[in-house]
Amino acid sequence: MSNRRKGIIQIGEVSRRDALKSIAASVTLLSGAQMQLEAAQHVHARVKEEKSQVGTYKPKLFTNHEFQTMGRLAELIIPADNVSGSARDAGAPEFIDLLCSQNQDLAVIFTGGISWLDNEIQHRHAATFVDAAEDLQKAMLDRLLAAENTEKARTAQGLSFESSQHYKDFSGYGVYTPSDLGPGAKFFNWARKLTVDAFYTSEIGIKDIDFQGNTSISQYEVPEKVIDYALQHSPFKG
Amino acid sequence: MSQIKRTPEEHEVVVIGSGAGGGTAAHVLTSKGIRVTLLEAGPMIDPVKDFKEHMWPYEVDHRGAEEGGAAYFGKGKPFGYFTTTSGGWQLDGEPYTVGEGSEFLWFRSRVIGGRTNHYGRMSFRFSDYDFKPYDRDGLGTNWPISYEDLAPYYDKAEEFIGVTGSKEGIRSAPDGIFHQPPPPKAHEILIKKASEKLRIPCIPNRRAVITRELNGRPPCHYCGQCGRGCVSASNYSSSQVQIFPALKTGKLKIIDMAMAREILTDDSGKVIGVSYIDKKTRLEHRLNCRIVVLAASACESARILLNSKSKHFPSGVANSSGVVGRFLMDTVGFGLSGYVPALEGLPHYNSDGYGGSHLYMPWWEWENHGKLGFPRGYHIEIGGGYGLPGIGSFHREATVYGYGQKLKSGIRKDYGTEIGFAGRGEMIPNEHSYCEVDPTVVDRWGIPVLRFHFKWSDYEWKQARHMERTFAQIIETMGGKVVGLSAAERERDGISIPGTIIHEVGTVRMGSSPKASAVNGFCQAHEAKNLFVCDGGTFVSNPDKNPTLTINALTWRASDFLAEEMRKGNV
Repeated sequence: MSNRRKGIIQIGEVSRRDALKSIAASVTLLSGAQMQLEAAQHVHARVKEEKSQVGTYKPKLFTNHEFQTMGRLAELIIPADNVSGSARDAGAPEFIDLLCSQNQDLAVIFTGGISWLDNEIQHRHAATFVDAAEDLQKAMLDRLLAAENTEKARTAQGLSFESSQHYKDFSGYGVYTPSDLGPGAKFFNWARKLTVDAFYTSEIGIKDIDFQGNTSISQYEVPEKVIDYALQHSPFKG
Repeated sequence: MSQIKRTPEEHEVVVIGSGAGGGTAAHVLTSKGIRVTLLEAGPMIDPVKDFKEHMWPYEVDHRGAEEGGAAYFGKGKPFGYFTTTSGGWQLDGEPYTVGEGSEFLWFRSRVIGGRTNHYGRMSFRFSDYDFKPYDRDGLGTNWPISYEDLAPYYDKAEEFIGVTGSKEGIRSAPDGIFHQPPPPKAHEILIKKASEKLRIPCIPNRRAVITRELNGRPPCHYCGQCGRGCVSASNYSSSQVQIFPALKTGKLKIIDMAMAREILTDDSGKVIGVSYIDKKTRLEHRLNCRIVVLAASACESARILLNSKSKHFPSGVANSSGVVGRFLMDTVGFGLSGYVPALEGLPHYNSDGYGGSHLYMPWWEWENHGKLGFPRGYHIEIGGGYGLPGIGSFHREATVYGYGQKLKSGIRKDYGTEIGFAGRGEMIPNEHSYCEVDPTVVDRWGIPVLRFHFKWSDYEWKQARHMERTFAQIIETMGGKVVGLSAAERERDGISIPGTIIHEVGTVRMGSSPKASAVNGFCQAHEAKNLFVCDGGTFVSNPDKNPTLTINALTWRASDFLAEEMRKGNV
């Protein structure tokens, strides 16, 4: 990679901001308004401060139990491995707690979902989700996935027969019945969506998938080894 | 009416709107020494403060999901939190209505620079044949001008705003004055190979981005974030490229937060000024002026004209023909994505580039419409590469891979293997597609709102199916698999919702006959010599060339004409 970057100026974070500021000052002009250059550091300091003291984060909405449960779910959804940390490490529970504290609908989905999950697993194993053994937790999530797939199949059937003009007169009956685990499957889908988002928008997640952009370069080029690889693996090789 | 403030000052030219049309008019007229007063219905913009260019998602606590996770409930900013859009398909206090049985979404940006702050910056010239659609297939109406009339102004516009491209000699996509385009990305190289196998031209994209210094604007730094607004003004926006520099001439005065209500005329029908509401005080003001340039966007301009009723103009200023609001067109849109195995395991690289695809496919079948079964063409835009992760980037993978290590490894494997195509096609104007003033609804400023009516015809649906087949062929030719629509989804989502491509044009169309058009080929109202309309409203047809560059060129031509008419004392 580094040899392909030859001739490409990588501007460091601080100097790039400075460069953009001076550029911007030369090309913009606002009527009467004094340019507020320091505003360029449009960073929301509040989160950063709170993030810098991970471990001492105080949930805004979740109870401690809910927060721990969300943390456990997050690391089950995106676990740590030999490449990177887990979604819990990436701040997923904090992210979800923050949004829930600002939105009643979301709060209901998460606090209700966690409570449903505890109740469901307690019926079977006499332990809350967070206290259950790992294999029992995973067995629970597997059941929710199965319920989700059943639900998906039902919806797909609805799509193809009910909303399709070609099938207006189709009078077949659905073969899939709703699952008792429906509410849990719905909650898990929410938990997974927000966990995945929290992980891949974090520094840990962005590094995990090896995103290399969001930078300033003076000339754009694609490394030859990349082009060679793509061609070699395509129908256009040779 | 004691609330109305009259200014004794006589304004020379009042321009209503600050997008591609208003920005170009302000730039060209002030550069000729003419005094311009620009009305903008939104606030000023400060790129340094307002643009979120280069921000990482983790620099905000909500990561881009917005307060309370609004993005998860479809209530986030259009195109995402980090984009610079100011506005959307619904604005608080400024509603519009839609007629029964119709569907239409109207995007409005209330901010200096309008939609040019965030647009895709595709910059395609119309072809010679695009100006004479009726002569080709008996549908629609010819323009009163030809390609030769507009070509010098395409030159001026491209030279000034800066557009990338290459000389290709393809009739559907006339060459222009170009900046060096950046080289294709890895997935685009495969797409080009597949396209060429299918005899579809695939050429360097034409976007309003500069790759060398231009008028003090530094070249692109390839962060791929044009949609967030460019702090260094290395792409075109009327705010940074035309309006801020025009302020330096001392000839431009901007009145922001000014919602135009009406164009004022005297008893003889002569335009004498503009009335607007100051949104900060809700007071109405009246400006006296010599010339009005209406550039509020196609539908907003139609609305202002229709609402400007007087004894002389009972159906609205410059609307004796009744065409204002008619012939509303959007672009036909359809998209399809595919998974490409050849991209799996690819060594990762920085695929940001210059903020849009580096290649595109212009229309290639302009001589074969007889065989195709639909009359007009489309171009193809390309998506793919390693996007900066954001809210929703991996929701599809999440449902495919479940959870755990399988999900984490699955996302790693799939990242960057998906490509997408978006068709952008020409619609034929039809009698079912128009806007009018709703007789019962006003906005919070007391201004009667628009009511929309819209229908795609079979022409557009057939074109969209051709897009779908073509995209599938390209994907399969490169060894990929369509991640596609089911038959039912195709019926529901097989063509874009009218208005969502944000290319609405045609509602104040130009023509040589005052009976069948509102303005002449110089964008000058047939019925009011000192009124010009400089936005997409004047379009007679809506070729598959995104409208902005043509708005720039038409406005430049109109502004040259207007300056000359002013000098001669004709207006």
